[in-house]
Amino acid sequence: MSIEIKNVNKRFGDFVALEDVNVSLPTGQLTALLGPSGGGKSTLLRIIAGLERADAGTVNIEGVDATRMSPQKRNVGFVFQHYAVFKHMTVAKNVAFGLEIRRKPKDEVRARVDELLRLVHLSQFADRLPSQLSGGQRQRMALARALAVQPKVLLLDEPFGALDAKVRKELRDWLRRLHDEVPVTTVFVTHDQEEAMEVADEIVVINDGRIEQVGTPDSLYDAPANDFVMGFLGEVTQLGEVRLRPHDIEITRSPDLAGGTSADILRLTRVGFEVRLVAGTEEGQEVSVVTTRSHARALALEEGERIWLTPSSGAAIVPAMKSLLVG
Amino acid sequence: MVSLPLPARWAVRLVVLAYVFLLVGWPMITLVQNAFADGLESFRAAFSDPDVTHSLIVTIEISLWAVAINTVFGVGMGLLLVRYEFPGKRALSALIDLPMSVSPVVIGLALLLVYNGRNGWFGPSLESHGIVVIFNSPGMIMATCFVALPLVVREVVPVLEEIGDDQEQAARSLGAGAVQVLRRVTLPAIKWAVVYGVVLTLARSLGEFGALKIVSGNLTGQTQTAPLVVEQKYNNFAQGEAYAVSFILVLISVLCILVVSLLRPKESAS
Repeated sequence: MSIEIKNVNKRFGDFVALEDVNVSLPTGQLTALLGPSGGGKSTLLRIIAGLERADAGTVNIEGVDATRMSPQKRNVGFVFQHYAVFKHMTVAKNVAFGLEIRRKPKDEVRARVDELLRLVHLSQFADRLPSQLSGGQRQRMALARALAVQPKVLLLDEPFGALDAKVRKELRDWLRRLHDEVPVTTVFVTHDQEEAMEVADEIVVINDGRIEQVGTPDSLYDAPANDFVMGFLGEVTQLGEVRLRPHDIEITRSPDLAGGTSADILRLTRVGFEVRLVAGTEEGQEVSVVTTRSHARALALEEGERIWLTPSSGAAIVPAMKSLLVG
Repeated sequence: MVSLPLPARWAVRLVVLAYVFLLVGWPMITLVQNAFADGLESFRAAFSDPDVTHSLIVTIEISLWAVAINTVFGVGMGLLLVRYEFPGKRALSALIDLPMSVSPVVIGLALLLVYNGRNGWFGPSLESHGIVVIFNSPGMIMATCFVALPLVVREVVPVLEEIGDDQEQAARSLGAGAVQVLRRVTLPAIKWAVVYGVVLTLARSLGEFGALKIVSGNLTGQTQTAPLVVEQKYNNFAQGEAYAVSFILVLISVLCILVVSLLRPKESAS
């Protein structure tokens, strides 16, 4: 295990940012810290980097106790949401910064900078100032700068958060490919579940300063540990006393499946290849269901029709505790 | 931008030009005219007086010391105010602005009270160690520093706030120590704010009158500075020489501002 976090607590005044967090992040993998804003994921990342100090608990990086180590001794690369480029230095100088601090020979620095600029496709911009680059290019430069010192761990704090949707998508794919080429242990923070599911080998879901669940994207999606994880990773609806995904509900026109609930179709919307419908049960519950267009046509679904709803076999199901208490 | 109709735009320009001309331009032009009224005669008379040349040297010496000290402390205090939280921060910030609102004469008197050799708080003990503050260079440097205190800090603080500490954190995560972060990242980022602060401090220090008149004792040929010489010459009916020295003081300030505006890169490049 590459990064071991044990019993970490952090407060900012009265606000509890992290509460007794324990997690280990595996070597050589791409891990996402996923959760809503203000949930503590960035704080955890900054504690790993040493930019923030935990009130209690320990941080161990590659077998070295880093709890009290200053950031410059930890040998981690950090990439900021807003790039944090050195504005007065050229692109090449930015990338060379960490190497020059380490007093590497000039030839070695130049060779390494050339190699990294090629890796992030910025070779032709070496002598430009960061202000002449686009947001995506600046972030790639920041990545090259972080990688230049061959860090044991690469940490990225919402790295694509300030970019527009298209560039975001490109950089996301690019980061995945880069990680396959340069397999340094990487941890990135995001509040975008799609981004986490697409890029990460492993996801750590953090909410309210606590870790909700750790697992691969598939295991989190298919077997969420609780209501929160389920809701954060995708759409959720409630059928009877369970919560499940709208596409995990089977529709029949007659009560021939065991445990079916009868309902009337209230609204029906076609979006491309899928059909979304809202059905009202006899208890007054509104259930969202997603099905394919061909299936909807085969069943001749129309607004006002009576249908029977059953959780499909193998569906991820979580008991709807909160709703029962409230409603 | 609000766009005004053409006649209104010209009217506004005219008002502004007239205001600046009447307040600054005309008096300055008259001063220069008077300085050169007899050709270079006034300058020759002024520079043949060793007290005048000495006063110019004293002024420049005191100003350079004050600039050096205020630059170091100004940058340090700017960093302290922007990058750190501590109790009494607002009080410190207000205290730094105090010299702006207090008359320099009062500042001179206050320093006199604390550091004079007879009954000041520190004066007697300092003098027993051979350090004479009042009527001497240390006191004059202190008074000048005090008067020009906010100039560097107030230039540096907004720039530090604007750049944030992202770059500094990035530098630390890349292995830079505190001194390296300051030298390679923070100082280059605030370079032009510091240069402006230095120029303003220099201009302010060269022209300081009230506080120095009290603290220096105005001893001719010893602690008398150029602005004090201007007053003395004027009062002694040597107006020509007073104008000549004034012109030199103005010239140095204008040169400072010119040099900076020539050195400064275009806005778009920053």
